[in-house]
Amino acid sequence: MNVQVDHHDKVLVARVEGRVDSSNSQDFERQLQGAIGEDVQAVVVDLGQLAYISSAGLRVVLLVAKTLGQRNVSISLCALSHPVQSVFEISGFNRIIQIYDTQADALAAAG
Amino acid sequence: MAVQVGDRDNPDYKILVVDDEPDLERLVRQRMRRHIRRGKYGFEFAGNGVEALQVLTEKKDIDIVLSDINMPKMDGLTLLQQIPEVNSDLRSVIVSAYGDMENIRTAMNRGAFDFVTKPIDFTDLEVTIERTLRHLDEWRAALASRDKLVAIQNELAVATKIQQSILPDKFPHVDGCEVYGCMHAARNVGGDFFDVINLAAGRIGLAVADVSDKGVPAALFMMSSRTLLKGAAVGVEDPGAVLREVNDLLNETNDAAMFVTVFYGVYDPSTRVLTFSNGGHNPPLVVHPDGSSEELELTGGLALGAIPGFEYGQASVRLSPGDLVVFFTDGVTEAINVANEEFGLESLQGLFGDGRTPTAREAAEMILQAVQDFAGEAPQFDDLTCMTLRVADE
Repeated sequence: MNVQVDHHDKVLVARVEGRVDSSNSQDFERQLQGAIGEDVQAVVVDLGQLAYISSAGLRVVLLVAKTLGQRNVSISLCALSHPVQSVFEISGFNRIIQIYDTQADALAAAG
Repeated sequence: MAVQVGDRDNPDYKILVVDDEPDLERLVRQRMRRHIRRGKYGFEFAGNGVEALQVLTEKKDIDIVLSDINMPKMDGLTLLQQIPEVNSDLRSVIVSAYGDMENIRTAMNRGAFDFVTKPIDFTDLEVTIERTLRHLDEWRAALASRDKLVAIQNELAVATKIQQSILPDKFPHVDGCEVYGCMHAARNVGGDFFDVINLAAGRIGLAVADVSDKGVPAALFMMSSRTLLKGAAVGVEDPGAVLREVNDLLNETNDAAMFVTVFYGVYDPSTRVLTFSNGGHNPPLVVHPDGSSEELELTGGLALGAIPGFEYGQASVRLSPGDLVVFFTDGVTEAINVANEEFGLESLQGLFGDGRTPTAREAAEMILQAVQDFAGEAPQFDDLTCMTLRVADE
């Protein structure tokens, strides 16, 4: 698992690669939280290279979304592979976190 | 007035019974006489909350308080609030009128571990006491380990024990169906639980759940989820309304953004209808006698604890004689073998062929065995839980 960060003006794009499960979810949380600076206005998490996410990983996404929500920073996800999309649909998290097909769509909405 | 009974001076566990009904003392002594004689349980009695607090102040070795709700001077709900002031190393079990949702809910929120309903069924009561004591033992072990600041591995082992202590080990005997459940806890984690709840009119509540994280905090979250679910299940009929209530209660105190996926269904053996609501859990599989199977529909739910105020939908399915419903957690389908391949839903479906459906127990054990055989030496990071409902043959 690895998190790569790009800045598009005040929008932060975090690209997550590999697998996130209970063995590395704390690392995932540290990397994602650490990447989000004070001046960020929106966060787009690109899951295009994420092969698998377990419920421990979903908890990190929820935690980050809640923390950002308190700061009025928007968060969205994009480019989910079919298995990852299915995890979000079964857990119902697609109903509480905005999901876009592509990073471009997510950036357009965030900008 | 507190009365000492039993002729054994040092029982293994001490139970304080609080009730203003004088006949209860005689009844408890009579029905529990074998346990009292063998020195397993010792009983104390108090007539109301004030007397109970007196007993708890004088005797620091009470393990369980079994309390009625409506009593003069101080009621059971007020007593629950006061108990931690005098003794924080015990568990309370509330005796309530059947379906008295409001009081059960308040009691659970005030820290009751479990409840039994009136009129008291002593077999039920014994099972509840046994489970509460088992839990208390694990809990005390957990506290002792934490005090010693043992390694994290040990803490996780303790969480697993807490988890095992809340699982049902007896399954209801009901005409027209059987139920079985088992779990294989991953070596050092623990987030799954299941429950089988006897409901009014012969119906059965069936729950399978998976907490998002591992370790002691997750085990505590699992405990409250299980307690709140049981409390809601006996008071509310619709599975969707049950999940909505548990979700709202879990959201009241949840800073760590933990959540629990829960599938909850109510099965009525007289109509063979299973009504269910899915709170973000992987859907159960319905297996027919010809070996074909399909997943139950999702009901537009969301994992519990994520956000408050969510409305949970529900659906129902009419089962046929010989049908088998397999409730499981994603540890089953997402188990990985040494080649890094997933067990998957198709392998699960492939376990069932044309012919007689296995019994509830055979099916659950067969599934867990198949997953373990598949995984082989590959380390597993998730619990394996499987609960089965088998409709009787025609």
